[in-house]
Amino acid sequence: MADLQLDSVTKVFVENDGNEITAVEDVSLEIEDGEFLVLVGPSGCGKSTTLRMVAGLETVTDGEIRLDETVVNERKPKDRDIAMVFQSYALYPHMTVRENMSFGLEESTEMPDDEISETVESASEMLDIDALLDRKPDELSGGQQQRVALGRAIVRDPEVFLLDEPLSNLDAKLRAQMRTELQRLQEKLDVATIYVTHDQTEAMTMADKIAILNDGQLQQVGTPLECYHEPANLFVAGFIGEPSMNFFDASRDGDRLVHEQFEYELSDETAAEIGDHDEVVLGVRPEDIEVRSDCEAAHSYETVVDVVEPMGDENNVYLAFDSEREETFVATIDGFQHVEREQSIVARLPEEAIHVFDRESGRALRNRTLDTQTMAEPPM
Amino acid sequence: MATNDDETSTGGTDPRRIALYGVLIALVGVYLSPLYSGLTTSLKTQQAYRETSPLQPPLEGLTIDPWLTAASELAFAMVNSFAMVVPATILSAVFGSLAAYGLTKVDWRGQALLLALFLAAVFIPYQAVLVPLRQFWSIVDISSLHARGELVELTITHIAYGIPICTILFRSYYRTLDDELMEAARLDGASLARIYRKIVLPLSLPMFAVTLIYQFTQVWNDFLFALVLLSDRANYVVTLELNALAGAMATDYGVQMAGAFIAALPTIVVYVLFGEQFAKGQTL
Repeated sequence: MADLQLDSVTKVFVENDGNEITAVEDVSLEIEDGEFLVLVGPSGCGKSTTLRMVAGLETVTDGEIRLDETVVNERKPKDRDIAMVFQSYALYPHMTVRENMSFGLEESTEMPDDEISETVESASEMLDIDALLDRKPDELSGGQQQRVALGRAIVRDPEVFLLDEPLSNLDAKLRAQMRTELQRLQEKLDVATIYVTHDQTEAMTMADKIAILNDGQLQQVGTPLECYHEPANLFVAGFIGEPSMNFFDASRDGDRLVHEQFEYELSDETAAEIGDHDEVVLGVRPEDIEVRSDCEAAHSYETVVDVVEPMGDENNVYLAFDSEREETFVATIDGFQHVEREQSIVARLPEEAIHVFDRESGRALRNRTLDTQTMAEPPM
Repeated sequence: MATNDDETSTGGTDPRRIALYGVLIALVGVYLSPLYSGLTTSLKTQQAYRETSPLQPPLEGLTIDPWLTAASELAFAMVNSFAMVVPATILSAVFGSLAAYGLTKVDWRGQALLLALFLAAVFIPYQAVLVPLRQFWSIVDISSLHARGELVELTITHIAYGIPICTILFRSYYRTLDDELMEAARLDGASLARIYRKIVLPLSLPMFAVTLIYQFTQVWNDFLFALVLLSDRANYVVTLELNALAGAMATDYGVQMAGAFIAALPTIVVYVLFGEQFAKGQTL
């Protein structure tokens, strides 16, 4: 069983004019067998390059990729025992589904023909595409093509599964459906998987572990909830979560944080965590903001409603501190709570929910306090 | 011609439309009249040819003798032409396809320079290479080895001359092929040669139709290279023999016309056979 390690992996592209571009810098990751790791980040952050290095489609400039303690840097793609699903699916257009799925087995194994067709058929049954085996890719819908691409990877029975934005070409409904299906499939196959996406929702919902990349640098590795509640830095805090976390630039003034439009009182505990950092960013997630008609409690501020986005179960309310509305922030409130444009309301930013970051380095100084509860098993 | 889109069609009453069709029909007449008069001439006896206008249909003095004469005169040259054209066409397409594969889907240094050479080669005029070509083949003297050696020299010349344009055509097509396809095949364990054989080649069939038609027409219709390289009458290709035919039968225009049609026939057949693939290849 496989255990994949990336040890200080770096990729430098040299352009024709001699310019060097560092696409991936010093990335170290470990994926245990059966683990589902999602590599997430904005486009151009180096996540696909990282995946392609693991696949052997790009050379590694520096560092090591190890599969079961063996360095595989110099191994050809076909000798790495990996299978990959491409964003475009990359199905061979002139071959039937059956031929597409058996091509890899024919090229890279000594498997006899009847065994190949058996493998292909059982994989196609698992993916519910057994009725399509004799069709060509252009006769299939996007969702079906996606399944064939998965099937082509599954039949190889690889040690590591690589998926490069496999759902990005599907419509929203199908994407949500395939998301759960992929998760189920991965659990059944129990194979180490690296899944690349720019979509933080996919990362949150599917991953055992998330690795967030920005500008070729690893920002944080952790479980989805760790990354959500305890972001290591400003980038992760802003990237994970939809709508994004609200940020307010503030300066430290004794036991208060001073923002252009409000002042935030700090408890001794929080003040201690911030230490001697003066220029900070205050962060608070939209769903942690309490919206009331009036409130005397601490950390409450008068605001004006700028825009309301009803989502059904909840409303995203954009609030401004003054009527100029140069700067708005968003609060997520219950869908049944009726709020109108131009209405004046009070927003409370509870202290247990705030994050504070060092403005210069972006590093998190204080994350929200957590009080998670596990649902109790029903009594026997 | 500019016709207004929002102008509702009024059938044949629109004078601009009538003028348009008038001009078009006149142009068709201009283009087709030589073909037409050639065809009528080839079907007339010598006497009928002298006594009637070339535009008059061959009602009296109808004969197919010129066709039979021309066919028997040109038969050996047609065989020579086919013996040269078929390998020349297929091989330059195959080599062009391979070169284009190497220039697009395989990563190595110095590609840009090589591509520039291929591009430059496309624009070398026939006349510019005639003398060096003659000298080259007198050094590499295949014609002294066998009676048909001249024909082999001509075939190789056409293959070499056809490779650049075939390469450029295939290259523009291969650039549109998804790189992820090649990568998927690499991950599936296929070697460079296998990827070409199993993925690239089957996907290039429309492009092969384009290059085959193009090369076939070019090589079949070539006169200059054949004139320079072939000296033995037995090795004459159809373009040379047609020219010789015109000289030998200076007065028999019927035979000349029939000969011209016979010589042109294979290129037309090739268009008909591969036309659909050709259109598909051009829209790729």
